[in-house]
Amino acid sequence: MPNLVRRSCGAADGSADMIDIDNLVLSYPSSTKPALDHVSLSIPEGQLVALVGASGSGKTTLLKTINRLNDPQSGTISLDGEDVSAIPGPLLRRRIGYAFQGIGLFPHMSVAENIGITPQLLGWSKPDIAARVRELLALVDLPADFAARTPAMLSGGQQQRVGVARALAARPKIMLMDEPFGALDPLTRDALGQSYRALHERLGLTTIMVTHDVQEAVLLADRIVVMEAGRIVADGTPRELMSEKAEPRVMELMSVPMRQAERVQAILSGAAHV
Amino acid sequence: MSEQIASAWRLLPEYLSAHIVLSAAALGAGLLIALPLAVLAARRPAFAWPLLSFASLVQTIPGLALLALFYPLLLALSALSGRWFGVTFPALGFLPALLALTLYALLPILRNGVTGLTGVDKAAVEAAKGVGMTPMQSLWRVEAPLAAPVVMAGVRTAAVWTIGAATLATPIGQTSLGNYIFSGLQTENWVFVLFGCAASAVLAFIVDQALGLVETGTALRDARRIVAGVAALLVGTGLAVTGLARPNAASYVVGAKNFSEQYILAELFAERLQAEGANVRQKQGLGSAIAWRALVSDEIDVYVDYSGTLWANVMGRTDVPPRDVMLAELTQWMKEKRGVTVLGSLGFENAYAMLMRRARAKELNIRSLEDLSGKAGNLALGADIEFLDRPEWAALQKAYGLAFRDKRSFNPTFMYRALSSGEVDVISGFSSDGRIIADDLLALEDPRHAIPSYDAVILLAPKRADDALLQRALKPLVGAISVDLMRAANLSVDRDNDKSTPLAAARALESQIRK
Repeated sequence: MPNLVRRSCGAADGSADMIDIDNLVLSYPSSTKPALDHVSLSIPEGQLVALVGASGSGKTTLLKTINRLNDPQSGTISLDGEDVSAIPGPLLRRRIGYAFQGIGLFPHMSVAENIGITPQLLGWSKPDIAARVRELLALVDLPADFAARTPAMLSGGQQQRVGVARALAARPKIMLMDEPFGALDPLTRDALGQSYRALHERLGLTTIMVTHDVQEAVLLADRIVVMEAGRIVADGTPRELMSEKAEPRVMELMSVPMRQAERVQAILSGAAHV
Repeated sequence: MSEQIASAWRLLPEYLSAHIVLSAAALGAGLLIALPLAVLAARRPAFAWPLLSFASLVQTIPGLALLALFYPLLLALSALSGRWFGVTFPALGFLPALLALTLYALLPILRNGVTGLTGVDKAAVEAAKGVGMTPMQSLWRVEAPLAAPVVMAGVRTAAVWTIGAATLATPIGQTSLGNYIFSGLQTENWVFVLFGCAASAVLAFIVDQALGLVETGTALRDARRIVAGVAALLVGTGLAVTGLARPNAASYVVGAKNFSEQYILAELFAERLQAEGANVRQKQGLGSAIAWRALVSDEIDVYVDYSGTLWANVMGRTDVPPRDVMLAELTQWMKEKRGVTVLGSLGFENAYAMLMRRARAKELNIRSLEDLSGKAGNLALGADIEFLDRPEWAALQKAYGLAFRDKRSFNPTFMYRALSSGEVDVISGFSSDGRIIADDLLALEDPRHAIPSYDAVILLAPKRADDALLQRALKPLVGAISVDLMRAANLSVDRDNDKSTPLAAARALESQIRK
């Protein structure tokens, strides 16, 4: 895997970045503490970045600020060099893929209608949409005859595949994913994570994925950004964050998967000796 | 019985069409207002509380009162608008009924609308935003279809309420199935009351089923059910509209207040006008003040009122001139000040009268109030609930100094029973009441003219002042109905057994007049 990680600081090396976040501040009316406290982050094209951190650390808020589901009090976001505050929210979101834990498939529409919704909003022709739906069903490994089904007829994993297909339908360059596989069983979750990683490579996407599962982040991401209380407290490759140079708190967090693996190993070998 | 059912059936097309058109218009207007408000309240919770509170408050106003309140409100608004823009509108009939029922329909639609919209799966709403829908697209493509079953349940409730409450439009001059109920209540014609209730219930049931079809259609996403339900409703409303559209042109409208005598006289007038080839509609069950207003504003063409009532309530007079003087002055004043033609007196009075059992009066040798005054100290008076507070009672006391041993108030039915049983000796009744014949009562004479006269007079609307057909049809009735004839006709409608309908009573009365 090519090392794409650059710890850039905002606009300094500007145009090469797909996503450029500069000095975001956002607080919710209900809270005195800011949800985002001067956050800056630059992500080059093609990177898969995992945002990790405890609940309430600001991961989801940051993600939703990128596609303007939230608007910040100050700071700027540029996507491919274009300031998002100049683009109306709905138009911006038709250019960005968005998948989340709730999935939110429209229960009154067929799978095909769900997948084709953003192209339809963009005014694609019916044959183009139909062709794209067939293409996407294949891409997310679902049979073509699922097109006519309703979401209620699908399993959780199948629904999330449709959710990812829907997010990809209008050929976005950027994907925002909020715990997309969080509610799935471990097997499905692992399989979907790997298929998504493959899609990310194949389509040349730039992805930000929020997860609280460090193991998932380590396995899928090129780069991990750790958030705490609205700030970025660590940013690097999985290997960097797990090295001894990292802060103790971060290292402790990052070493959870390793420690778990060791315990599993110990239990299994212990059992073998009995 | 079967005669009453047959006459109820004859009235059904007119009453039902009017009822359907009114209910459909109110429900339609309710939807147009409540649905956007529900969207607003669902999006901005700050609006939800005041909106729902207002709608609930409206719901707590009794239906009849709400309908009645729109009459003075519209009257004032119409006067203002007439002054400012030269445009007036009717304060009676369809408009106030429509406004009141529309308000009534708001709550269930609004409440279910808010519940439905706020209850839509949050994930679906977030996804709608996430895929790039504008707020309007999200509303139409996602939120509205998902909320539709709950909203439709509210629409069903509103429809049933509206159809039920529309029966209350009758007293403010809007024809509805309530005409059966109100006229039936007044004449104690329970067949009519039941017929009106049943017709309104059947209508509500059918509409509810059609809306239910739409509701399950939205829930199951089955377009055929939705189309079938909506089509059934539209066809029904369309039929009602065409049914109403026909008889309107160039017809005469006969008004009637809300008691038996008025129903009988209205039928009598209608029969006579039809015999002259006129197209006739009736507006029955009007409140006393409302009937007068409707006549002055040409909404009804003719009705019967009583000289003493007009003297006090319309002219604002408190003096009590002799019968002939009052009638002459009234006729002149009406023409000059209001443009209303007093065609003449029918020949009988419906005045307050002091009544005794004939046998008892004979025994005590009492024929007039003068005879009574010396003997009142040994006698008991029964009065209806308001009589003892009325100016007529004060005038009687002043003129004859009546000091009874005992005075008791009753509702009218029990007052007559108390007289029959000897519990009281004298009661306050009405001079054209049929029970005077039935119970063999004597109305005591009033030689000092203390009680104002209440001659039944035919009033014509300003625009019908010189109408030849009305004159031809109704002029022969002037002076033609004696108080005995009217009492007999009233009795035939009011009695408990072998009841006549007002129409049958009117025909019997007509045959008596021709003799």
